Amino acid sequence: MAVSRVHDGYDRCVKADHIKAVSDVCISIGLRTDLGLGARPLDPTPLAPETRPGLPRPTMHIYLPIAEMSVNIFVFFGMGAAVGFLSGLFGVGGGFLMTPLLIFTGVPPAVAVSTGAAQIVASSVSGALAQYKRNNVDLKLGMVLMAGGIIGSIIGVQMVKILRDMGQFDVFVSISYVLFLGVIGSLMMIESLGTIQQSRAGKPAAPRRTGQHSWVHGLPFKMRFPRSKLYTSALPPLAIGAFVGFLVAIMGVGGGFIMVPAMIYLLRVPTSVVVGTSLFQIVFVTAATTILQAATNQTVDIVLALLLMTGGVIGAQFGAAAGASLRSEQLRFLLAALVLLVCVRFAFDLVTMPKDLFSLSDTVRVRQ
Amino acid sequence: MRLRGSSRMAAAGCLVAMMACGFVAPGTFPANAELVAKESATNKAKRQRRPAPEAKPAPAPDAPPAATAAPTMAAPPEQLEADVSTRSIAVTAAFKGSEVTVFGTVDNSRQPSPESGYYDVVVAVEGALEPAVVRRKSNVAGLWINTHEANFDLAPSYYAVASTRPLEEIADAEVLAKNGIGFENILITVNPETLKSLDAAGLRDFQAAISRLKSREGLYSRDDYGVTFSGRSLFRSTLALPANVPVGQLTARIYLFRDGVLLNRKSTKVGLERTGIERFIHESAHNSPWLYGIIAVLIAMSCGLAASALFDRVRL
Repeated sequence: MAVSRVHDGYDRCVKADHIKAVSDVCISIGLRTDLGLGARPLDPTPLAPETRPGLPRPTMHIYLPIAEMSVNIFVFFGMGAAVGFLSGLFGVGGGFLMTPLLIFTGVPPAVAVSTGAAQIVASSVSGALAQYKRNNVDLKLGMVLMAGGIIGSIIGVQMVKILRDMGQFDVFVSISYVLFLGVIGSLMMIESLGTIQQSRAGKPAAPRRTGQHSWVHGLPFKMRFPRSKLYTSALPPLAIGAFVGFLVAIMGVGGGFIMVPAMIYLLRVPTSVVVGTSLFQIVFVTAATTILQAATNQTVDIVLALLLMTGGVIGAQFGAAAGASLRSEQLRFLLAALVLLVCVRFAFDLVTMPKDLFSLSDTVRVRQ
Repeated sequence: MRLRGSSRMAAAGCLVAMMACGFVAPGTFPANAELVAKESATNKAKRQRRPAPEAKPAPAPDAPPAATAAPTMAAPPEQLEADVSTRSIAVTAAFKGSEVTVFGTVDNSRQPSPESGYYDVVVAVEGALEPAVVRRKSNVAGLWINTHEANFDLAPSYYAVASTRPLEEIADAEVLAKNGIGFENILITVNPETLKSLDAAGLRDFQAAISRLKSREGLYSRDDYGVTFSGRSLFRSTLALPANVPVGQLTARIYLFRDGVLLNRKSTKVGLERTGIERFIHESAHNSPWLYGIIAVLIAMSCGLAASALFDRVRL
């Protein structure tokens, strides 16, 4: 019964032909997302007491061996569950929420980013497997994207190392988040408001124009991708993969929010394989990034990752169930608001004068 | 008494004999005017000649201060004995901070009661030395980013100082500086390049930032009344080790002061080690990072798959 909201959402979005501009970006991300955990939408399973997130039990602490801090188990478990809930609700991976949240709670950014990648492996793997079983993965295209992704990840991990040595990693992460979340959040906000207005006015959404070729298809090194019915240059998927892999390494996100629209609009990949292929790529690139971060920067905290994963997979179940009762454009509006909120928080920290201009580097202690 | 006899013999001699006496007869004071005269040449003697009510012949060690006619007494020098409550502290998965109790005695104590404040004791516990990088932000095009940095090759990762009263009252700044007591006097090795690139004032700012930032994290601490005497010679002090204390060897140094003069010092060590799973994880992350990464990924994958399998079953 892996047929989950992934499918429901997907069918909904394709059949309704609601796909246009950014709207399907979100939906598609949504597809990839519900983490393939197989939540049946209107399932009335009550909240089991043991899975209610964030029960306050302040005495339970655990020492994180890599982040080198003592944290309350339930706070971090609850954080995992809350982000899992939101990712299930909105159908997104959650990396762009999890990593900032870790940074805001005092986990060193480099540890947050690397551990975030490990956590995305856990939240994407079952979805990817489900998509693969349903033959929704274009393996050949996925391999090309993955190859690009691993190259991008290698560059990104080295960049993390260099920036940490320079003491500029924290600000780099903040600026990256402000830029990406700002752009994506604004686009989603505009689009969802437009859709909401349109649906109020009773107009049907404009149908998608298909079958067009773009400049992308004129590049050299052409390859045939039978599953996607594409004959196109291998360079764009490599480049897209590399860019996403780079983002995984420096931001601790899965990159679905870039990958899915890029596949749809730049590569013209049929929507039926977009989600599966992107999930396939995400699992392997985040896995490779986790290994590279561990090897290069020693910043993957297994204990922290386990806390977040357990909370996340449970939260996602309930999020997916809750999300089924909301309209997709409303969901996108809420998601856009959330994305902008995180963006504003990062921007605020960048432009307001810090309480103390001096800071001690975490580099030394983490690297020892 | 044998003690008396030995000090009388010493009285014929000088300071050397005085030392010998201290060695032979801890805990008692020879009442000998001659000895005092000899001794007066030394700092210690000067100190001892201060009108201190308790510096009296005391046949019984626990006798109360008696108002004897003789105003000054010679005495064997105080010896300091000190140790820590534990040799090693384990950083386990459940580690949420700990504490170190430093205790000791002043042999040949002349203080009449624990409250008299006759002696001052300073306990400084220093963590392992490690490199530190301090950065300073400035506003660049509206954004606050790190623009200046100072590299310190060695700085204590942890520093806690406790004393019987505020350090400034115990001794002069010079004495404190000489012994490395207090935040301003922590021995920090500045990187040669940093030394070249910064002026004195700038460097001072960065050094002050270390103690300020570390204090905020609870890693540097100062307790002005953290050492208490619980007897004429027994003292103790408990220093907090926060959960974020970096692992490594801790050095506890104990100083005994009297009227601004350092009488004696002792140092002892405490190990702070990772143990159990904590140590295992930390060591594998640093010793076999590739394997660690691969295992992390395998754990993540099995966690994700197990969760989906579990929930599928629950829902079905």
